[in-house]
Amino acid sequence: MSEQLEKKPDSDTSPLKPHFTQRLEASAILTIIGIIVLFSTAILATLVAPHYVDNSWTSPSSPYQVQMYEIEDPNIYISNASSGGSNLQYLHHLKDGLNLLAFKESDNLRFIYEPDLEKYITLQDDPILKLTSRLLLLRIPEYEMKDKAKDLESDLQKRWKNAEHKKKEGIEKIFYQILELYDPAKKEAFSYNPSEGILQNWIEENFVILEGKNRQSHHQDYGVVYVQNPQEYRVKSVKFGSEEKWGYNPQGEPFNTLDALMSAGLNFHSRKELIAYGEHIYAIEGCWYCHTDQTRTLIQDVVLNGSDSYPAPPSSPNEYIYQKITFPGTRRIGPDISRTGVKRPSRDWHMAHFWDPKTASQGSIMPSFKHFFDFDPRGTSNTKIGIPNHRFEAIYQYLMTKGTRITPPTQAWWIGKDPVRTKEIIEGQRALGAGQS
Amino acid sequence: MVNYDDRPTKLFLYPAIIFMVIGMFVGVFIAFNGFIFPDYFAGEYIHFGRVRPVHVGTVTLLWLLSANIGLMFYFIPRLCGVSLWRPELAIAAGVIWWFILIIGNGSYPWGTNSGWEYAELPTWISWLPVKFLFTTTWLMIVLVFFMTIANRKFKKLYVSLWYSMGTLIWTSITVFVGYFVINWVPEGISRVNMNWFYVHNLVGLIYTPMGLAQAYYFLPKLANTPIYSHRLSMIGFWSIAFIYAWIGTHHMIHGPISQWLQTTSIVFSIWLFIPVWTVVYNLFQTLAKDWAKYLESAPIRFLMTGVLFYLITCIQGPLMALRNVNEITSKTDWVIGHAHISLYGTFTFFAIAGIYQVIPSICKTPLWSNNLADWHFALNLWGSLLFLFSLWVGGFLQGLMWANWANGSSYAEFHQNLTRVPFLQTIADTRDWWILRGIGGVMILFGNLIFVVNIFNTILLKPVDQPESSNQTRMV
Repeated sequence: MSEQLEKKPDSDTSPLKPHFTQRLEASAILTIIGIIVLFSTAILATLVAPHYVDNSWTSPSSPYQVQMYEIEDPNIYISNASSGGSNLQYLHHLKDGLNLLAFKESDNLRFIYEPDLEKYITLQDDPILKLTSRLLLLRIPEYEMKDKAKDLESDLQKRWKNAEHKKKEGIEKIFYQILELYDPAKKEAFSYNPSEGILQNWIEENFVILEGKNRQSHHQDYGVVYVQNPQEYRVKSVKFGSEEKWGYNPQGEPFNTLDALMSAGLNFHSRKELIAYGEHIYAIEGCWYCHTDQTRTLIQDVVLNGSDSYPAPPSSPNEYIYQKITFPGTRRIGPDISRTGVKRPSRDWHMAHFWDPKTASQGSIMPSFKHFFDFDPRGTSNTKIGIPNHRFEAIYQYLMTKGTRITPPTQAWWIGKDPVRTKEIIEGQRALGAGQS
Repeated sequence: MVNYDDRPTKLFLYPAIIFMVIGMFVGVFIAFNGFIFPDYFAGEYIHFGRVRPVHVGTVTLLWLLSANIGLMFYFIPRLCGVSLWRPELAIAAGVIWWFILIIGNGSYPWGTNSGWEYAELPTWISWLPVKFLFTTTWLMIVLVFFMTIANRKFKKLYVSLWYSMGTLIWTSITVFVGYFVINWVPEGISRVNMNWFYVHNLVGLIYTPMGLAQAYYFLPKLANTPIYSHRLSMIGFWSIAFIYAWIGTHHMIHGPISQWLQTTSIVFSIWLFIPVWTVVYNLFQTLAKDWAKYLESAPIRFLMTGVLFYLITCIQGPLMALRNVNEITSKTDWVIGHAHISLYGTFTFFAIAGIYQVIPSICKTPLWSNNLADWHFALNLWGSLLFLFSLWVGGFLQGLMWANWANGSSYAEFHQNLTRVPFLQTIADTRDWWILRGIGGVMILFGNLIFVVNIFNTILLKPVDQPESSNQTRMV
């Protein structure tokens, strides 16, 4: 063949004019220019243009999404090391001027306070929730407030005895929790939140921010996340033989700075850190080879990912804007994970499932992830499952972001709000494809 | 007569052949340990998610890409009529290439997967910048090739050189985008889009032109007949250059990405019929003058079967991009089957055919055993048919089961269908097809073990005395 090619150049001088494609052959430079021109056109049109043309690629899905990722996640600290690992300590890092706080009384929760703090209290029947960005905290009444609290309690009990409905319900005595609202005069503090739930306190109507809306940009959104009734986080350590344990204790010592919390060796990580680490684990464990992370605009997907009575909304591009790596996936050997936070919120379920998927869901071919658990040397936990370590907490927090942050909980699809109206598509009331974003 | 320096060819080809069977062994392992006896060998370092990238990385980079580069080191100097420009640079590149790729691919079980499909190589392992070194090495190879082509003696560029030059440019840009630029764009779908661009170009603008360059070079060589039409091959080349870069988004059809971008990718995917038709027609017409050669020579059989598989791949690809077909096939084993017919059924077959031609040529000795080559082809053909059809059929059935959930006129009915066929049932029903896939995989692995023995015996031993078998094949 080489010999043949060697002779070819002669044909250039032959009287027969060669076809233009053959003349092109002679020029390597034209080839290269042609390749680059074609290639860069494609790059411009398919890689560069879209995120300028389509702003759903970069603009958030709702202020709720922004506030969850930017205000809540970096300021929520989680530790599983308090009491053998089964209970989570879940606390808020509150900063003066940043976080919004609400102090709301309820049936059996009452506050006592110095007169100048009265304006921050939302009474049980108040139609408007009062929010403040001033850093105030609740605590078990101390010093002279102790007596005040006792007076208030006996007063409340008396009133209960005289109340009409007492006889109907047949309850002799009610337990009232009386907390003292006080100004810690600090720039930052930690509050304890006994709930592990994924639903945040979110309000979008009937609220007022007492300091006005100008202290933080997120205070100007139409809705805000807030912390309800923050109690100061205090820790006391207890010795069991040679072992030292610690846990929340209202009589203990508070932490004044983030450094103090982190250096106390209590194994706290911010939720932001855990979610980022969870994403890393999702990548290195290769979860994404079997699970997709997208609810496609297909009936089968929105029904599969939906709840009993409502379909899940299809994934939109802006669901992913807070992820370093996104895993849309090519193959579904396991179910899609894009709505896991709503469909499977239980931490216990995930613990059992990661420990041994084949027993937790019959017929699964998922490998077990026993390295997400530590060996339990004393056998103190009451299940056969090991003690979940930080890898489990990370992947769990990561999964809990899936599907929970698209719209505020008040407008969420799982309570029937269906903001993208998929149910109408399924039931044929709306033309398919008409309103897909 | 030019004295060609074949050290770079050997440096890339010999280890690549070994890594082919290693990669396929890992593939067989996960076919059994992931699917047939799920999680039998369990644990942090050996479960499916951590071993799968070892299989993919080994067969794509350590085998196929390395073998392709090795073959280019063979035919580019010969088509240019000059010895390789600076072979020492090529050898240095080869040394770094193996060093970094073996470490990079071997590290996945220890948790270095970077999380992007086909770009799993870690950015750093300790102080080793893996992606950076890989890219640098590639650029060294590109430089050697371009300088060789610039110094060529034959003025005319044969079509294999066009494809080679194309792939040298495309790979450089594609790898740069997929490894580095992806971290510089906004988080979320922009990165996803860029990753699919990279994934599809890896197949369409790296393996395809490399494979076609080999087919266009080795078929005329093996069959000793000129190529049917140069002009047709040019049409194929330019349509590939025009089309491939646009179609990455078809991996996200029905997904969370702009509809207009999906539609664009579908339109361009359909146009892929043009290049595939030119290639298939051209190569078949080349051999049409003398079909007896197909029966005489295992390498020609590999090449022509590869061309057939290429035709199937490129019929599947555009069809899978159609929204209604995609609804069934996407996210099922069909996709895995499609990936294997292109990278294994087509381009691995091309590379094997090339190796059968190159090894005797650079070792200046005939193939150790033609009998074994025949066995190699038979096992690969039947193994791959079993393997591919079980994935396609199993995947298609699973896709149908998923789609049948969506039935009824109200949401309640839909949801009832959903609870009637739980997801895990579709997994259980696919198991039989996975067993067939595993058996096919074992056949392929066994066939390629024969190949390794045959090739290294050719390199190391004298040819066996086999007058009967060679006579037999000639008589046919």
